Amino acid sequence: MTVWLRLHAHALAEALRRFSSQPMGSAVALLVLGIAMALPMGASVALRSAGLVAASLEPEPYVNVYLALDATEEDARRVEAALRADPITASLRFVSRAAAFEEMKSTTHLAQVLAAFERNPLPDAFTVRLRTTEGEPIAASRAAWSRLPKVDQVSADFEWAQRLARWIRFGDRVLAAVAIALGVAVVFLVGHLIRLQVLSRRDEIQLSQLIGATAADVRRPFLYHGALQGLGGAAAGLALTALAAVWLGSEVQALTPSYLPDLRVLFLSPGEVAAIAVAAVCLAVAGSWWAVGRELRAFSRG
Amino acid sequence: MIRFSSVAKRYAGGHEALARIDLEIASGEMVAVTGHSGAGKSTLLKLAAGIERASSGSVVVQGQNLGALGETALAVLRRRIGFVFQDHKLLFDRNAFANVALPLRIAGYRADEAARRVRAALDKVGLLAREKAMPVALSGGEQQRLCIARAIVNRPSILVADEPTGNLDAEYGRVILGLFTSFNQVGVTVLLSTHDEAALSALACRRVALAHGALAQSP
Repeated sequence: MTVWLRLHAHALAEALRRFSSQPMGSAVALLVLGIAMALPMGASVALRSAGLVAASLEPEPYVNVYLALDATEEDARRVEAALRADPITASLRFVSRAAAFEEMKSTTHLAQVLAAFERNPLPDAFTVRLRTTEGEPIAASRAAWSRLPKVDQVSADFEWAQRLARWIRFGDRVLAAVAIALGVAVVFLVGHLIRLQVLSRRDEIQLSQLIGATAADVRRPFLYHGALQGLGGAAAGLALTALAAVWLGSEVQALTPSYLPDLRVLFLSPGEVAAIAVAAVCLAVAGSWWAVGRELRAFSRG
Repeated sequence: MIRFSSVAKRYAGGHEALARIDLEIASGEMVAVTGHSGAGKSTLLKLAAGIERASSGSVVVQGQNLGALGETALAVLRRRIGFVFQDHKLLFDRNAFANVALPLRIAGYRADEAARRVRAALDKVGLLAREKAMPVALSGGEQQRLCIARAIVNRPSILVADEPTGNLDAEYGRVILGLFTSFNQVGVTVLLSTHDEAALSALACRRVALAHGALAQSP
């Protein structure tokens, strides 16, 4: 048992020595691995930040029905009756033009612009919550409602929120595909780097085998070397992602329009960081195992 | 200790290096294998040390049939056999000390215990003062002795040496053979090969002559 522990301690020390004996080469290797890993990590940060925006938008289906500016209270009541009669309507709220004007003045930066208007430019409006999100009945009702007398415009803003949510789901799948592809790339990248190490130590490996090293003995320091590369690559990738998130985050906040309450960069959680590190080490060890095994078979063939 | 029973070795490509070898080497014995170049001396030594496997027949070393051992078990058995390579096989990227320490590192020795043994081995071959020298700075004879130090550092009970006097002048050859005799005197089984009959003349040991892959005489 103590011998076993000592063999592993020796292998780790040997791997660290090999790692530090070529500082430039090791740094470049870590940077390349870091960039490969930063791509899916950065995409994941961007997607979840966008997801935060989508979640803060109205997820429920609703339609705004704007009346013409010259509509009277009588017109409004008739439109309301027609909207209520439609089976697609779940509930409805009337927003008078005066109330909308006050609300806009108090909640947006547009107060000065609005003050310049002599008359209130906003129309009366109904916000109608719908019972369905299906496109066809909504389109039919929208068409019918826009033909009502004194109705100016019917808009369904929720559709773009739904579309955004759907794009984010699509983005998640693209992200998964990219992560798998780059995971495979990490395996082969580390495998290739370890293979070069194996080739440059060909004499030592062959001699070691002649004087009693088993395949596991030969493999051990290379696996540790690969694991170090995986861990270092993950650290570099996380650092690159964090740098980009901080750099872009401040810009995103400056760009955020006031009507989007929660646009900010959502970084990975500690658990996710740990999972990424573990996955990177596993992939790197797998790549090293593959590379060493391949070269050992080549050696034994002569 | 080492027993060959109708051992044959054919290499890929059909070259038959050894045919029907029957040979027994007792524990604590010293045996010199002689023969012309290409007679199969190196092959015989590699089979005895578990570096190569017989094509047919059985090689039994310390009671273990090498043909029945898996790769890992065979590798572990090789640790108990010191092998002096004809071409030395020194690692030129590290100093004499590190070269000798390699077998101990493989076996997982503690660093202080390993250092003690490495110095003892270097002392036996007269290279203690050169432990920091790189192999390229050593003479041919010193390289040969360094290779011997690496073979004995694990205190093997069997020492196998392939042409240990090969590239050395006669005088130095005698010094090297004297080293093997001294190891044999403390109980180590020694199996060595040479094509240089003259160097053996002063050596009191059993000789096994090989010719074209077969035993020419086996007293």
